[in-house]
Amino acid sequence: MPDLAISTRGLRKTYRTRRGRTVVAVQGLDLDVPVGGVHGFLGPNGSGKTTSIRMLLGLIRADAGTMTVFDRPVPARLPEIVGRVGAIVESPKFFPAFTGRKNLELLAAAIGVPKQRVTEVLEQTSLGERGKDRFKGYSLGMKQRLAIAATLLKDPDLLIFDEPTNGLDPAGIREIRETMRGLGDQGKTVLVSSHILAEVEQVADTVSIIGHGRLLASGTVAEVIGGGTTATVKIGVDDREAAARVLTAAGLAVRADGNYLLVDGIENPAELTKRLADQQLYVNELVPIRADLESVFLELTAGEGLA
Amino acid sequence: MIRLTGVELRRLTARRITLLGVAGVVLITAFLLFVTWREAEPLSALEQQQARTSFEQDHKMWNDTHVQNEAECRKTWDPNVNPGANIDQVCSYSEPKASDYGKPQAVFSQLVPQLLHGASYFLLFAGFLIGASFVAAEFSSGAIGNWLTFEPRRMRVYGSKIAAAGLWFVPLGVVVTAVLTLGTYLIAAQLGSTAGTDWSDVIGTAVRVVVTTAMGAVLGAVVGLVLRHTAAAIGLVMGYIVLVEGVFGAFLQKVQPWLLGKNFDAFVLHDTTYDIEACTSQPDGSYTCDYIQKTLTFEHGAWYLAILTLVLVVVGGVIFQRRDVN
Ligand SMILES: Nc1ncnc2c1ncn2[C@@H]1O[C@H](COP(=O)(O)OP(=O)(O)OP(=O)(O)O)[C@@H](O)[C@H]1O
Ligand SMILES: [Mg+2]
Repeated sequence: MPDLAISTRGLRKTYRTRRGRTVVAVQGLDLDVPVGGVHGFLGPNGSGKTTSIRMLLGLIRADAGTMTVFDRPVPARLPEIVGRVGAIVESPKFFPAFTGRKNLELLAAAIGVPKQRVTEVLEQTSLGERGKDRFKGYSLGMKQRLAIAATLLKDPDLLIFDEPTNGLDPAGIREIRETMRGLGDQGKTVLVSSHILAEVEQVADTVSIIGHGRLLASGTVAEVIGGGTTATVKIGVDDREAAARVLTAAGLAVRADGNYLLVDGIENPAELTKRLADQQLYVNELVPIRADLESVFLELTAGEGLA
Repeated sequence: MIRLTGVELRRLTARRITLLGVAGVVLITAFLLFVTWREAEPLSALEQQQARTSFEQDHKMWNDTHVQNEAECRKTWDPNVNPGANIDQVCSYSEPKASDYGKPQAVFSQLVPQLLHGASYFLLFAGFLIGASFVAAEFSSGAIGNWLTFEPRRMRVYGSKIAAAGLWFVPLGVVVTAVLTLGTYLIAAQLGSTAGTDWSDVIGTAVRVVVTTAMGAVLGAVVGLVLRHTAAAIGLVMGYIVLVEGVFGAFLQKVQPWLLGKNFDAFVLHDTTYDIEACTSQPDGSYTCDYIQKTLTFEHGAWYLAILTLVLVVVGGVIFQRRDVN
């Protein structure tokens, strides 16, 4: 068993726009996705996530760099492993005038999977009867489900989901999240791209963060967020002015936020409450504000002059 | 590849535009047979009577006057008025023939090449249109990207689409040409004549029509793939017909043997002709133009179509192999 499901080195892609300008979508990306579990592929809009995924799937050609999927160089040996890879790139696209079932039947026939498997995956994704409706009449959530059903036709070891929760309602988001978690727990590798950390951190075991087409950080979710910044803490206290004075005197950065105070750079919130309690200022509310992806980004990219 | 071709054939069969196209072809076929039948219907007794009367009148007139007219003509003949003209031609008064009066008889061996030639045009167009939309729709809907995540070998994907488009139209072409041929035969047998039929000629023409129909579908698939939109593919064809075949062909008559239309005709009809205007200055200073009829051979047409198809299929393959698919 290889220990990396996906590995890229120096991956690069430049687009030429209509007006002849060049856009560097991916510049020297080194991405490693371990086998097994859910791997979040994070980056803001336009950071090159979809472009990287398309290159991995052989849909577009890389200008430079190497890629392997299950230790096979791709796209050269993609045909060998394509049966083990299920992917949804951007919004699901099928033949609009055909029913969901017909679309799946054609795909199943193309890869030599028996027809009854179509019924199974339709059941699995709770599309069931709706499989008889035309794809163009599907809601966004149903389209996503059909796309997932399609990837399951192959019973793949690696699933690549590009922003799978785009446009879904909370119930739909949770359902997709549970599907991904379930696949990860079965020992499959799931690569899920997103620009929202909150969406991914609940399911991801490991993440890679990219910005402007290159890797900024990777590791477990905790490592990445923790490594990027210290937390900001929001506190509620009766005498805000006094509290602010005390904390500023202790060398902390304090800002007012409505009826609360925001204190940056806190590693251990307990220290903060103790410091205030020593001055008879009692904290009645304390909320650690998590670093969101954006602030991690700003921090990660600040020194590079990229963001 | 065989499996993929089978899947593509299923998809082509399931498309609505394919059914619409077939319905259109059926309607046009029925219409062509209807028109053939109307044309073949002999004249009514009254009309026949009228035709005979006018023939008899003309013949009597000829009997009474042609000797005298000819003598007169020869007497007043001045070779300088019309240099090069032949006195025997100018002064002959031919006898009217009964068969030139009234409606000519419907003869199967004459009708069927015309009819199949006409059918070859609409079959070619139907093949092109359905083939183009079959592949272009995948690009405009984006379904091709999903498809390629199931089968990344582009040449197989390409080959299966081209093959499916071509193969699908073979039975359609066979059925349409067979219906037209047999229908015309029945009409001619009932209302006209089937004398002098060379079945190997008829079948040869029908086979060539089937070939061009499949070729139209293959070219449609290639053009649809390259341009990615059905409308663009149709636009390209219209532009070609108007600009190249129409404008360019009319002004530069010498290019006619290199235009698709003439080569298509040469292939389907087994040789065709085209006219070239040849103008010369006469010694007396006048400038006269004549049309010279030239023949474009079947072989020329066949090679032309084969090479054109091959080149386009290869170019389409290279483009698809290298293309970034979104
Ligand atoms: N077909 C294309 N032609 C030209 N430029 C493109 C094309 N596709 C992507 N780009 C550019 O490449 C860059 C990366 O785009 P990409 O779609 O990979 O980003 P992304 O990380 O997937 O973003 P999002 O989160 O919005 O999906 C962007 O600047 C985009 O404008
Ligand atoms: Mg994207």
